[in-house]
Amino acid sequence: MTKKIDVQVNRDGTFRAEFSGFAGDECIDHAERLQAVLAGFGLVVEPITVERKDPAQIALEIGEDEETEHKIGQEVPR
Amino acid sequence: MSIISSYSTKIKLAPRASRGSGSRTDPTWKLLHEAVIAAAEALGGEVGVEIADYSGATRGVDFAISTPEFPRGAGIVVSPGGEVRFLYDHYGGYRRQAQQICDLVTKHYTTLAVARALRELNYEVDVEETGQGAERRVMVRGVM
Repeated sequence: MTKKIDVQVNRDGTFRAEFSGFAGDECIDHAERLQAVLAGFGLVVEPITVERKDPAQIALEIGEDEETEHKIGQEVPR
Repeated sequence: MSIISSYSTKIKLAPRASRGSGSRTDPTWKLLHEAVIAAAEALGGEVGVEIADYSGATRGVDFAISTPEFPRGAGIVVSPGGEVRFLYDHYGGYRRQAQQICDLVTKHYTTLAVARALRELNYEVDVEETGQGAERRVMVRGVM
């Protein structure tokens, strides 16, 4: 499944990151790795809020992903 | 599981000791320089190394941005430990203009750092600006 991180940077430089398509606690691991790499680039970040997506949101993401794969499959008939 | 997180940010460059004598080639220094240039361009301003106070007295800084709205300029000073401080004299009702410069530098630094960090983590990265004026937002998208 496609993994996505969408980062919205606010006017004051704070940001909101949405992690999609990660299995289990994998997204926590990716969030921590992102924090570590950002520190290497000179940006020290501290989480203000962390919300877990509800099952309906996750199901929607998975559904969207499967639909996209299906459409791509239809577009290239051989 | 997937999450939505919000983060506070602080720019902290590599300490001068690790930047060595060629501090201006250090990646974090170069990133700050890029952010300063981008902020100045967005505000129609200029990049320099000097700011002025209300009386016209000047002082040297590592980077300065002066704009048509705030010709005195907002300055950036990097300490030997890499801490980044913004300096300006907002006397006379220029607090908003000065703060706008500082926020924009921080916003551009965050955008550049996030995009590069995601690339380093092997994501394909796309950067998009949305909205107008004060509501302008930047979206950095990473896909793996």
